[in-house]
Amino acid sequence: MLHEPPPETGKPIELGNAHTYLNRVIAELQALRSEKKHPLLGVLQYLSDHIRQTRQDLGALRTADGALLGTTADELEEVVAETARAANEIMGAAEAIEALMPRVGKDVATELLNAVTRIYEASAFQDITGQRITKIIRAVQDIEEKIGALAEACGEGEIVGGDPLGDAALLNGPQLGKTAATQDDIDALFDSI
Amino acid sequence: MSLDKKMRILIVDDYATMLRILRNLLRQLELENVDEAANGEEALFKLRKSPYDLVISDWNMQPMTGIELLRHVRADAKLRPTPFIMVTAESKTENVIVAKQAGVSNYIVKPFNAETLKMKIASVFKVAV
Repeated sequence: MLHEPPPETGKPIELGNAHTYLNRVIAELQALRSEKKHPLLGVLQYLSDHIRQTRQDLGALRTADGALLGTTADELEEVVAETARAANEIMGAAEAIEALMPRVGKDVATELLNAVTRIYEASAFQDITGQRITKIIRAVQDIEEKIGALAEACGEGEIVGGDPLGDAALLNGPQLGKTAATQDDIDALFDSI
Repeated sequence: MSLDKKMRILIVDDYATMLRILRNLLRQLELENVDEAANGEEALFKLRKSPYDLVISDWNMQPMTGIELLRHVRADAKLRPTPFIMVTAESKTENVIVAKQAGVSNYIVKPFNAETLKMKIASVFKVAV
């Protein structure tokens, strides 16, 4: 026998273990003198390279803290929440303008009414963008789940993501509402340094 | 003949912002007797509690979508005559067909403007605007 078979655990072999196993088979085949080994070696080497590349690609998706696309869906949810807040603010201001109409002349009131109507109509963008982004969030979550499962199958040990460099290492964009520090938190931190 | 300014209208949408937009646009049409529901289930409860002259509903909501609400309304002998306008971002032909077959009175695609809303309501009540 050229090599020991993988352990019979009754569970599917992890891709990471399979890769190690495959490389061992390749090494043992290479030691053989038979010329018939070459086509098989070619196929096995292709598979091995492909698995290695997949693991590197998965590693590239992983952030320094180990998350895959962990914050992407949260960021998008925040976009929906922020635009909803903005749309409500805009409409609140439009309603305040509308309330002033009885206090101005008819011509001005008509002009104001037309402008306010356009604001109400345009505010509907939030509903449309919200629905579209919600669809994207579901897609991202689905991709995240699949990549997570694939990463797990590949084995965790060798997958390492690259750390961002320069400003990218410092800048995270706007904070997520649910984890954001308040201005008071920042002031307290600032004063404590 | 013109629109009855006192008609009771139930607007149904899970986006609070859209409910506010609809209410404001209806107010500009001088239709101020407006009540709200955040989903089909809540709307059906309100409809069964007291009658409305018009329902303006979104499609995508949970629990109970707009199309499910429409089917409940049309299946209920008491509610069946209630005019029902679907206001939705679902603009695929098959959606419109499904809604039409379910008995929708009119169909407005988001984003829409005040003029479209006025025309569709007028069309449902067969009045000139």
